[in-house]
Amino acid sequence: MLTIIQRIEWFIGLALLQVLVLNRVHIDGYATPFFFIYFILKYNSGASRNVLMTWAFLLGLTVDVCSNTAGMNAAAATLLAFLREPILRGVTLRDSADDFEPSVRTMGFSSFFRYILLCCCLFCTVQVLIDTFSFFRISILLLKILTDISSTLICILCAEAIRRKA
Amino acid sequence: MRNLLDFFLKYNYWFLFVLLEVISFVLLFRFNGYQGSVFFTSANLVAGAMHDAAGNVTGYFHLKTINDELVQRNVELELQLESLRKTLVEATEDSTGIEQMKQDALADYDLLKAEVINNSVKHADNYITLNKGKADGVRSEMGVVTGSGVVGIVYLTSAHYSIVIPVLNSKSNISCKIRRSDYFGVLQWDGGSSQYAYVRDMPRHSQFSLGDTIVTSGHSAVFPSGIPVGTVDDIADSHDGLSYLLRVKLFTDFARLNDVRIIAHKGQEEQLELEKQVKTTK
Repeated sequence: MLTIIQRIEWFIGLALLQVLVLNRVHIDGYATPFFFIYFILKYNSGASRNVLMTWAFLLGLTVDVCSNTAGMNAAAATLLAFLREPILRGVTLRDSADDFEPSVRTMGFSSFFRYILLCCCLFCTVQVLIDTFSFFRISILLLKILTDISSTLICILCAEAIRRKA
Repeated sequence: MRNLLDFFLKYNYWFLFVLLEVISFVLLFRFNGYQGSVFFTSANLVAGAMHDAAGNVTGYFHLKTINDELVQRNVELELQLESLRKTLVEATEDSTGIEQMKQDALADYDLLKAEVINNSVKHADNYITLNKGKADGVRSEMGVVTGSGVVGIVYLTSAHYSIVIPVLNSKSNISCKIRRSDYFGVLQWDGGSSQYAYVRDMPRHSQFSLGDTIVTSGHSAVFPSGIPVGTVDDIADSHDGLSYLLRVKLFTDFARLNDVRIIAHKGQEEQLELEKQVKTTK
């Protein structure tokens, strides 16, 4: 488990990475990775919802303040943190009483993949919907959501692979 | 009563969840309408300084292409200058050349140099942060341009940073006209590609063709007239069928902005003051 100092380091690192690098990564406005949710996904499973939601809100707000999207990422990240526990319980077959850090090693690849897929879908859909705030052009909206989900997924899987080797 | 307390204790995370979501949405809506929200945007000191440092580094990445563009523009201007000089020599009594008009138009305006330190093109409402603020003389409602064309209008300013509403924002409304025939409309953006915007309310009897240049109209105190915006790319009817809707290919590449100029209109405050006086005496 991470100490509070390590958590703050991750927090700052991921926020900076998102704001300075990943927010500028896109293909004609599509496929922006929202990698900062990695922080929420990797939070140990036994943590209380209130703590996780507070972290998620602050992280989302930090990203928002730096990219002029006040409230957008904060709202989506808080929702993700709120629904993480049921999602995690849904994809793992084991007793959810024990405290573990979600990863391929602790959950097995298929459960872990379903877990991050669901979380990415949830976050990207909510984030893009709040951003556009209309269903006017549904095909463009869907394309944006799908490409955002896939680029976020790729980032998270890469990070997992790298951390496993290290 | 006890049961009620138990219920609240058991589901306390619902309250935090609702509270945090409400805060998020309040921020979301406040920022979109409230001018004083400098603290929650990149115009605040910490985020501004951070983007400033990052901008200093990334500014170098595009130097090669920007240099190419400058050389290209330089050559074009040289050629233009040469031909203008020839025309001037041929007709010295004619002092109303385009260049002269442009200089006259710019006489009332000051240009402030600024650098883009944060920028986005992928949202439905994009914003640009510049490294100049109130201390440098920037006020809201000033126009922002780049070498190739119009960028947007200053929205919020803090002491050393300011936020611009570029053309790529649904709140942006810039009055512009067709250079050849002077018919005017309103430039707006409705999401999608960052290279195209739309001119609405172009009268049905107006004359134009594909490829015509769109420039600012100069009807507001923000931009002088004649600053290039883009070229007409496609013509369609508006939704009510009463006017034309022109798709405009923008000259400015918003995904690659670096150096911009802020246009300070010398008479703007005086004009606003005068307009206010008229309103109060009514």
